Amino acid sequence: MTKQLRQSTIRWPGVGAFFIIIGLLVGFSFLLLDTIIKWTLESSLGTLNRAEVNIASVEHGWVPLSLTVTGVQVTDPAQPENNRVVVGELRGDLDLGELLVGRVIFDQLNATGIRVNQPRQSPGEVYTKLSKDEVSQAASERWEALKMELPSMDEVMAQVDLQTDIVIDRAKSNLDEQKQKLKQTRDALPSSAQLAEYETKVKELLEGDIESATELAQRREQLEELKAKFRADRDSVKAFKAQVETAKNIVQSDINALRQAPEEDLAKIKNFMRFDATGLENITALIFGEQIRSWSKYVLLAYEQLAPMMQRADDTTEAGPLRSEGVWFTFMEANAPPEFLVRNAVTEFAFGETILDVNWQNITHQHTQLGQPTTFQARADNSAIWDSFNLTGEMALKDNGFDARQQWQLKGAKLNDIGLSDRAEFMATMAATLLDSEGSVAVRNGLLDGDASVRLAELKINASGDSRWAELLSQALGKLNRLDIRTEIGGELTAPTLSLNSDLDRQLGDALRSTATDAAQTKLAKLQQDLTAQVNAVIAEQSPELAGLVDLEGLASSKDAKLEDLLKSQLEDKLKDKLKDRLLKKIGGG
Amino acid sequence: MLTLLAKLLKALNSETGAWALAFAFVLGMMVGFTPFWRVHNILILLFALIFRVNLSAFIVSFLICTGIAYLLDPVFHSVGSAWLSSESWRGVWEAMYSSPWWRITQFHHSITLGSIVISLALAPFVAVGSYFIVVNYRLRIQKWFLKLKIVQALRANKFWAIYSDLRG
Repeated sequence: MTKQLRQSTIRWPGVGAFFIIIGLLVGFSFLLLDTIIKWTLESSLGTLNRAEVNIASVEHGWVPLSLTVTGVQVTDPAQPENNRVVVGELRGDLDLGELLVGRVIFDQLNATGIRVNQPRQSPGEVYTKLSKDEVSQAASERWEALKMELPSMDEVMAQVDLQTDIVIDRAKSNLDEQKQKLKQTRDALPSSAQLAEYETKVKELLEGDIESATELAQRREQLEELKAKFRADRDSVKAFKAQVETAKNIVQSDINALRQAPEEDLAKIKNFMRFDATGLENITALIFGEQIRSWSKYVLLAYEQLAPMMQRADDTTEAGPLRSEGVWFTFMEANAPPEFLVRNAVTEFAFGETILDVNWQNITHQHTQLGQPTTFQARADNSAIWDSFNLTGEMALKDNGFDARQQWQLKGAKLNDIGLSDRAEFMATMAATLLDSEGSVAVRNGLLDGDASVRLAELKINASGDSRWAELLSQALGKLNRLDIRTEIGGELTAPTLSLNSDLDRQLGDALRSTATDAAQTKLAKLQQDLTAQVNAVIAEQSPELAGLVDLEGLASSKDAKLEDLLKSQLEDKLKDKLKDRLLKKIGGG
Repeated sequence: MLTLLAKLLKALNSETGAWALAFAFVLGMMVGFTPFWRVHNILILLFALIFRVNLSAFIVSFLICTGIAYLLDPVFHSVGSAWLSSESWRGVWEAMYSSPWWRITQFHHSITLGSIVISLALAPFVAVGSYFIVVNYRLRIQKWFLKLKIVQALRANKFWAIYSDLRG
């Protein structure tokens, strides 16, 4: 107990132990500084990117204070098997004075070997899942929609209700029916002998001598009886005439219908072969969409890559409950200098063998504090793959959101072997073309708004496929020499949408329809021949019948005229005259 | 680890003051609950080493509380975010933020601030609770504890040898 009381409150060896521990920690950190920076960058950039970021190595330098980062791979959260951007090397000089007061200021930053949309060796981890699967599924469905089968002639014949046979049957049936009706009405007609007898009887009544008024009355009565018969016969003749007229019209109409039937059937078949064209809508987007979307990643690189990171860097609402995360709050005064700033940067983009330098000024997420936007420019003329390229733009993250604009002009870009579709059912490659493009795009409140023209000249597309539709599409694409595509850029900054318009849809649609009809042309000609032969055979049967009907009509008219004449006979006056002469003779001779 | 536990048992069974042990538990809890690479933890370490804080209790408390902290991080984050987002405190935070010295403490990190606040709030309870447990252990539990068959078995193995060595 006495020993304990003599003990000092201060444990002096503990002071030594403290400095040894701190020394070990500092030494350990110093030795592993590059690894610690690498882990920190991978973690923080991964959080900003929402998907895995890999860094091959990090090196630091003390005089001047600098950082060199090599082999940066930034996973595309929407497509984890691809990197949205790859940076070969990134080197920056840090301002030591600013770093001591907690500000990361790079006076100069150089990035080389930048490529976008590059495949990864293995899919990167995505921290915030995006529905890219759905996008892929939708793309697949679009191809399925186009994968229609053109109908064959046999299928068309099976589905089209051909009218020629029906018209032939109807014509035959009509003819038989009319013949039957004519026969019935013809039987009721007075014969020629009967008409001659009528004439004889009338003559006897009109020309014989009359002895008395009684005889006159008897003859009158007999004539009236004959006239009644004439009227009945005349009615029969008129009925026959009407029937003949009806039959003639029906037969004539049937012959006309027979003559038209083959043409109408062929027109119907051709019309049926004009398959539903809805599947052909927006072939431009289907065939060129992915490639133009890929090109747009370069055009929208500044927005797609930097803007979301800027926004997330400034976002204090995102909760990170993990021990290594949490949220860093910022309490900057309006006039305070920004905490992160790259005053000047040069990013070197690689397009195959061609290098494009983009110059940047004032890269930060705190533009309000800086009072200036981030600006970028790129200009390169007479390069190996284009005649001229010019890009300018600026962007700023303000209180009301992300605000940016940019415009570009690209002339004479020579493109070779650009894959358009590598699907098993349809392979297409743009073997060669000259591309011109110009456009502008702006961002307001996180929404993109812009348009661009893409002109493809000296176009040569190689396409192939096993199915019939792929064959036809390949033939049609092979005929294309020039194509103007109008692109509208819209949607959210983090998920831009492109809508493509050109007259390709109409060109391809017409070509496909024409090719489909051409393929059936031989069968159509044979069908036309068969139908015409069938119809001609029936017409050959019906034409004499029609001529016979015309003859019958003439005969009926002649009988009708004769009966009319008989009915007009003036028996009364003649008989009266004869009777009057006879009475006068009796009185005078008396 | 066995040595560490043996040292803790030795301290519990020794004449080391109950408040000294309780204080070590509190300091260990604060380092365990808060993110490790922070300036205040260096100060706590310095304090624990310079003053006669029982290091075994400090380290055991630190290890246990680091494990618990992973479960409590969402709570730390909520508390820290709520305080840092408070408009009435904004002026204070802005003044502290503009000072490089305060920035070094990383007070503007939600989990750091939340864990410090909760550690400080729990400190009196942990201190009193630890003191109560140590005192009662020595009064009632120690003899009963040593009579347990499992402890008797342990006394026959390596752990007891280490413990005995420490006792000298």
